[in-house]
Amino acid sequence: MSEEKQEFLRGARSGVPLIIGVIPFALVLGLAAREAGLTTLQGVFFSTAMLGGTAQLAAVQLYGAGASALVIVATAIIINLRYSMYSLSLYPILEGRSFAERLFAGYCVSDQSFAITMAEYEVAPDNPFLPAFFLGASLSIFSVWIFSILIGYKLGTVIPAELSLDFTIPLVFMSLLIPHLKGWDRQVSAVVGGVAAVVLVPCLPLQSGLLAAIIAGIGAGMVSSFFKKKENSEGEE
Amino acid sequence: MYFYLVFGIIAVLFIFVKGMFLCFIPQSKLPQVFERSFRYIPPAVLAALVAPSILYTRSAGGFDISPVKIAAGTIAFGVALKTRSILATIAAGMILLWLLTYLAG
Repeated sequence: MSEEKQEFLRGARSGVPLIIGVIPFALVLGLAAREAGLTTLQGVFFSTAMLGGTAQLAAVQLYGAGASALVIVATAIIINLRYSMYSLSLYPILEGRSFAERLFAGYCVSDQSFAITMAEYEVAPDNPFLPAFFLGASLSIFSVWIFSILIGYKLGTVIPAELSLDFTIPLVFMSLLIPHLKGWDRQVSAVVGGVAAVVLVPCLPLQSGLLAAIIAGIGAGMVSSFFKKKENSEGEE
Repeated sequence: MYFYLVFGIIAVLFIFVKGMFLCFIPQSKLPQVFERSFRYIPPAVLAALVAPSILYTRSAGGFDISPVKIAAGTIAFGVALKTRSILATIAAGMILLWLLTYLAG
């Protein structure tokens, strides 16, 4: 087996712990799609044509409630604007790949596959097979996501909500955060991002609090990098 | 037809947003400042995703502070720091969540 194939499979396996948290969400989404009155064919289109988590849920609920097309589209896009930053961050990994491959990467990237790939990049930035790893992780998560939406559509939320399996999502993300905490400038960026999210997410609409918190965290990191540089150059003198 | 039009537009715009800097806006056109932001995207994103989900439970009424999640999440973070293992972190966090919910309930 080629090394690239091995990395693809390793990515797919790395996606497995993240899948536990994704399934309950996708089941809820499938149920919401049925409640919004989607036909089976529409449900299949809805689950395969896009990958958007919360944005998909908001869009399908608004559609079911009879909101105008403009409101549905704008809501979905605003909720997902953070993905533009993922594409910025993934660029060094996918640089040199064809346009079609990069486009496909944009189609199938999720919070989860972004997080696991960046953790991998942090540990081994020179691994030439990271695109294969990313693809493996993205596709394993996306395929379970599609399948679980359809199960939710047909059978409802078959996993009891009392199990709170959605709590595994922050648990996975916190362990993937740790490799990125090297250097106090990055710790500042994490602390500011986290605190800003706690304050802003409940009070701003459409998850725009999350986007604002991410930008605040990145900004704080960049400001501290300025001081860090100064500190380093003074150290050299 | 209306459904496919609305969700088709969403699907196309999603690809544009998600591939924005991978496909549509070349890095060479971006100011240098952006390159310096790379380093901070993962920590800011992950912390912003984690913190509210540990602090709050979402209900129909909005966001309620959840002491059980805070306790389970904080200890799980300690486990994550110590073990660097995703599975150990999930196990610690979920067992604590279930246990504390049971004890509180």
